[in-house]
Amino acid sequence: MSTTLSDLPPEMRAFTILKTSASFGPRLGSLALPGRITLETPHYLGNTSRGAVSHISQDNFRKNTSIGGVYVALEDFVEKLPRQTPPLYQLESPENSSSLRDFIALPKDTLLVVGARRIPCIPCPTANTNSALSIYTSVGFRQISAEDYAAASQKIRPDIVVGLADIPYGQPQPGLKRIDKMSDRTEEWTKELVSQTHGLDKTVKAPRASYQIFAPILPLTKELQTWYLDHLIDDMLDDISGLAIYDAHFLADLPAQVKDLPRLSFDAPSSPGAVLYQISLGMDIFTIPFITEATDAGISLDFTFPPPKSEVSGGEDAGGKDTLGVDMWQSEHALSVTPLSINCSCYACTKHHRAYVQHLLSAKEMLGWVLIQIHNHAIMDSFFAGIRESIARGTFDQDKLAFEAFYEPELPEKSGQGPRVRGYQFKSGQNETKKNPAAYKVLNVPEESSSEAPTPDAVAADLEKIGFAETAKP
Amino acid sequence: MAPMPSALSYELLAKCSVTKARAAILHLPHGPVPLPIFMPVATQASLKGLTPEQLEETGCRLCLNNTYHLGLKPGQATLDAIGGAHKFQSWPHNILTVSFQMVSLLKLAKVTEEGVKFLSPHDGTPMLLTPEHSISLQNSIGSDIIMQLDDVIATTSPDLARMEEAMDRSVRWLDRCIKAHKYPERQNLFCIIQGGLDLDLRKRCTKEMVERDTPGIAIGGLSGGEEKAAYCKVVDTCTSLLPEKKPRYVMGVGYPEDLVVSIALGADMFDCVWPTRTARFGNAVTSTGVLNLRNASFQNDFTPVEEGCTCVCCRPKEDGGLGITRAYIYHVAAKETAGAHLLTIHNVQYQLNLMQRARQAILEDKYPAFVKEFFGKLYPDKTKFPAWAVEALNGVGVDLLAD
Repeated sequence: MSTTLSDLPPEMRAFTILKTSASFGPRLGSLALPGRITLETPHYLGNTSRGAVSHISQDNFRKNTSIGGVYVALEDFVEKLPRQTPPLYQLESPENSSSLRDFIALPKDTLLVVGARRIPCIPCPTANTNSALSIYTSVGFRQISAEDYAAASQKIRPDIVVGLADIPYGQPQPGLKRIDKMSDRTEEWTKELVSQTHGLDKTVKAPRASYQIFAPILPLTKELQTWYLDHLIDDMLDDISGLAIYDAHFLADLPAQVKDLPRLSFDAPSSPGAVLYQISLGMDIFTIPFITEATDAGISLDFTFPPPKSEVSGGEDAGGKDTLGVDMWQSEHALSVTPLSINCSCYACTKHHRAYVQHLLSAKEMLGWVLIQIHNHAIMDSFFAGIRESIARGTFDQDKLAFEAFYEPELPEKSGQGPRVRGYQFKSGQNETKKNPAAYKVLNVPEESSSEAPTPDAVAADLEKIGFAETAKP
Repeated sequence: MAPMPSALSYELLAKCSVTKARAAILHLPHGPVPLPIFMPVATQASLKGLTPEQLEETGCRLCLNNTYHLGLKPGQATLDAIGGAHKFQSWPHNILTVSFQMVSLLKLAKVTEEGVKFLSPHDGTPMLLTPEHSISLQNSIGSDIIMQLDDVIATTSPDLARMEEAMDRSVRWLDRCIKAHKYPERQNLFCIIQGGLDLDLRKRCTKEMVERDTPGIAIGGLSGGEEKAAYCKVVDTCTSLLPEKKPRYVMGVGYPEDLVVSIALGADMFDCVWPTRTARFGNAVTSTGVLNLRNASFQNDFTPVEEGCTCVCCRPKEDGGLGITRAYIYHVAAKETAGAHLLTIHNVQYQLNLMQRARQAILEDKYPAFVKEFFGKLYPDKTKFPAWAVEALNGVGVDLLAD
């Protein structure tokens, strides 16, 4: 039978578990790939869109974030398939470097993780087939075969490739037959990815690919994917370096043979509390859509882990809990020269203030979202650093309880309008209103002109109050 | 009238021996800037997604804000409370505030001697905007260069009487602006020469404006769709009548050809939203012309936006740049704002770099050769040279068509 991971000499293992409590619970780890920043876990990956963390240009990524690893979706790059070779595949990079990394101008030491689909992904109307996964590109729905996916991985050489999972998004609860198929296909597709790595001849020593493979774990109970899991453990364990978990609850049922593998959450947490919950189940690495969602809503995240001690815990005083974020659209910030969060050392907080960010949002200037996005990632960096320290101290469970008592469970509701939504970010339904309201209206009709910039859109008294003009004398 | 205090000094370094081009250093309250200069437009106290540091890194030390927009948002009270636009946007360098673009308001507004009357679009209340309001706002903004309120009408207007009225009114409004200006020792008020395309009106206006002795002089009302040849005649006529020791700002001009020709005609300062706006549409400004990087022909083009460009976007990784390719811009153009930011950086730096190269050529007294090289690169076929440029440059002693 196959060896377990812990039989391997430590220098061959990328992932080291530094601290774990029994078989189930929060754990500390370290994911170290040659030439890359060592990711101390629990941690998160920056979520990219078309190769960039939304709002953050590559120079700002280097200068103003500490993001150590990113998640990139292949579906952002393969519009032209199958009729045309995607441009990304045509970029030739030196053998020891990744063409995807070069293409998106990712720093050379940032961990690069590739999966097929964006997180969160748009459900596709066409079902997956036995050989191909349905994807959504900026020009419409496409399919990518398991073979093409494996070939693409070879071509673009990321650090980690997440195997394809057959999950019927947007479909009603799958029946037993469909569940069988999910398990079968995922096994086939993972096998395809693994065999491509080594070539068909398993005796070949030097693998052709330098990337590691994270195998998907389906959002099903252990029993319902036994077939797949057995094959994973019996036939592919040597070639699997990690797991991509679609349902965090599965961590309780994880077979012993794969327990030491790093666990990447594809079970997008909706709040910091949900992140803590998954960590309490033993999750290591996250992709967190709510960071950018909060940014787009103009909400600057504002929480620490463990929560501040000085204040009286909100739990005792009903309704007195702290919010997890500040809605920067609110006009109460218009005169505030305080940073987005006190004590935050990010670029936005050290160089700018709330009044400017509030102005930028209300003026629909892109920089508003840039600054909030930089800040929100800095908050997540400290949040995860706090989590790791807490686990190391052995106080995670108490700290988690204190966090839940101190903060509201969910992020604040969005009140302002987000940035322009792009076609590949949503799927339109019937009778939907326009996603992006028209920015300009006819200017020369006084009754109706409420256009953005060139027309004063305040009442006369307000205009006078802000010193813009005075009421004309008759 | 007592001479107006000035918060700038114009240090002339070199004059082209053939054309009217000048190279200088303009010392402003927030540091020196090289002339000729292109000023990127940060209308609402932000340059289209760039942080002040990113803008600084392009080499920019003087950018524009718009008085009208800042007067509406965040408003004078906020600007006063925070201590001006520099603090508001964390920009440690110079700011020039352009006044209100009344052209765009004309359908709603009525210009009277008192000021601009308009109905509040929200509740229909008649409002009045005066030169005094404009200056008061700019005093609150604290910009290093402030502009007078002027009566602008489209240069293409056939109504000469109205044009003359606007010109005369702009002179009278300048007097009111000078009177209303609270901080002449730290903010430089520039007059704006009006008069449409009528050279006699322009001459009269120039004379009147020069007499008022403002620290700098702007030529306004241009770049509104007039013939380029007519534009060049106005610039040429005005600069010939202007004192040598003052900066000359041609408002709203920004295409590279226009800049290079206008410098030869004796202008020093320019602003335009075009380079940054066009970046957001995926257009890259390069020395061989504008490339629309959304065109599929660039999808497999793994070369930099412009070979040899020193902006952070184009510079190779080995030199500390990002090594962004045309193919990547194609990939993100109009899809991710980060793509717009990258191209905005490139376009702004292209413009600034063009000015720097022009300046170096003037310093070495090689401006005519620089102009020829510039047009030669832009139009490999001489017969495609724009006639207006050939004519205007001929007027200042450069024969673009000669070998």
